[in-house]
Amino acid sequence: MTDTTIINSTVIREPGRVRRWLADRHLLTKLGAACFLTILLLLLLTPLISPYDPAAQNLLQKLKWPSAQHWLGTDQFGRDVLSRVIHGGLFSVAVASITIILCAVIGIVIGAVSARKGGIVDEMLMRLVDLLIAFPDVVVAMFFIATLGPGPVTLIIALTAVGWTPFARMMRGLTLEVSSREFIEAAEALACSRWFIIWRHIIPNTLGPVFAMAFLRFGHKLITVGGLSFLGLGVQPPASDWGTMLADARNYMDRMPWLVIAPGLAIFITALSVTMIGKGLEFERNRERRESETT
Amino acid sequence: MLNFIAKRFVMLILTLVVVSVLAFLIPYVGDGDPVRIILRSRMADEVTDPAMIAALTRELGLDRPLSEQYLGWLWRVLQGDFGLSFTTRTPVDVMFLHALGVSLLLALGALAVAFLLAIPLGTAAAVKRGRAFDHATSFFTQALVAIPEYWIAPILILVFAIYLGVLPSAGWHDWSSMILPVIVLSLRPLAYFTQVARASMIDVLNAPYMMAARARGLGVSASLLAHGLRNAMLPIMTLFSLWLTSLLGGSIVVEAIFAAPGMGWLLYDAVLNNDVPLIQGSIVVIVALAVIINTLTDIVYVMLNPAVKLMS
Repeated sequence: MTDTTIINSTVIREPGRVRRWLADRHLLTKLGAACFLTILLLLLLTPLISPYDPAAQNLLQKLKWPSAQHWLGTDQFGRDVLSRVIHGGLFSVAVASITIILCAVIGIVIGAVSARKGGIVDEMLMRLVDLLIAFPDVVVAMFFIATLGPGPVTLIIALTAVGWTPFARMMRGLTLEVSSREFIEAAEALACSRWFIIWRHIIPNTLGPVFAMAFLRFGHKLITVGGLSFLGLGVQPPASDWGTMLADARNYMDRMPWLVIAPGLAIFITALSVTMIGKGLEFERNRERRESETT
Repeated sequence: MLNFIAKRFVMLILTLVVVSVLAFLIPYVGDGDPVRIILRSRMADEVTDPAMIAALTRELGLDRPLSEQYLGWLWRVLQGDFGLSFTTRTPVDVMFLHALGVSLLLALGALAVAFLLAIPLGTAAAVKRGRAFDHATSFFTQALVAIPEYWIAPILILVFAIYLGVLPSAGWHDWSSMILPVIVLSLRPLAYFTQVARASMIDVLNAPYMMAARARGLGVSASLLAHGLRNAMLPIMTLFSLWLTSLLGGSIVVEAIFAAPGMGWLLYDAVLNNDVPLIQGSIVVIVALAVIINTLTDIVYVMLNPAVKLMS
């Protein structure tokens, strides 16, 4: 008897909480997240669902328009474009994800420390941000490629080297905002250490906008990684991704424009879905602010 | 104010020193023998005779400590001497003059297009805030940001050069070869300019002086023109300079697709051919331009905006 009531209550409460959480989300967030999660699922399940081996050539079937056998047609070697598109996303999405996570973490730490420590440390770190933020990221990538050679690790280092700066600048502002609240004063009065305050009070209260920025920047990183692959400086053969597919397809685009459209569309939809999540989170935050101001 | 300018200049010089050290070190950390790479950049030909290499190494000071070599390199760079390109055998600084012109033309063209479209679009979205037009504009700008330039560029080439045959597909001949790259480069700035224009216009529309203008009997568009635009311009100018610096060297993909001989294309070509003097020179020039423009913008911004001065 008691067991069932416990089970019942959890069963009843759980969907309510999820539903309430979902109800707070902006339409853009929900649409973008649904789209992005589908893409991620497709990328992870690739080996199970891709209809053909992405490297299998069939020269009798080359440059075919989409058909029942090949949903997205075939390329200049008769390889199945759909299989290649779902295989080709893994590199760009993985590199962009790792980069954006590193950027966010470094930016959070530097921004929070800068704001909480103040003084000369703050001054130096923020002047560094002011200058690094002006560095064009592709040029920085070129420097690292010239010294370390192309490859995923080079790309991650290169894009993180200047990519953390906007996060640090925003995090500093947010930390200053949160620092004026009473619970920080209370923590300071209790002689909590700087790291404890940052970890327990600052970071949890600033994560929302940081997430929004991470999603908004993710699309840009994804496009940059694809662009470097397009130029032959990202993923190295025989591996390929959306960028290299586009570069190869350019030579055949007058005969088979579909070859250019398909991988580009994959990048576009992925980038658009994460941008939508980011924008949605931004709208949610503005809405919360307006509500807290009016009440 | 003077204190602020002085601080920014100190940081500017420091950055340039760090960037020059990094660029100087490229032949030393990459593959290959740095002495040979450097000799190749100073002679018009590759030196292979070991006795000659030894003699030249001593003569050019390549056996001295790195710090001394750096100062020598920096001294030549400050005079505009970046050495000879491995591929073209011409002085690198001469190649820059032409390339910078091309990149500047493309960047200013793209930013002008973006600016002229973004101001009316952003203003209209701000005026119609929360209505269908505003939502459509918002979605449109998000889509623009998500478009890879190496996707839209081939599609535009396919349509306008191959199917319609009205524009050249690539190369650098006359003004018509500028049209497609300028359109492609303008898309992302257009998105960001529109978002910023909308946000600052909303601030302006809620400002008391706008209500005062309306109370004096000025119409919506007249008061926007008289008061709104000027106040909304400041954030857009900052964004303008940030995009200018990023387009001057960062439009590598677009310049490569359209074979436009600008700074980005030069750097890409240099990396592909491992043309060390050209890589060093491009990176120094692009980054120096970026940080100088950025520093000047920040200073002008503070001078034009008394509110920032009061806060700091």
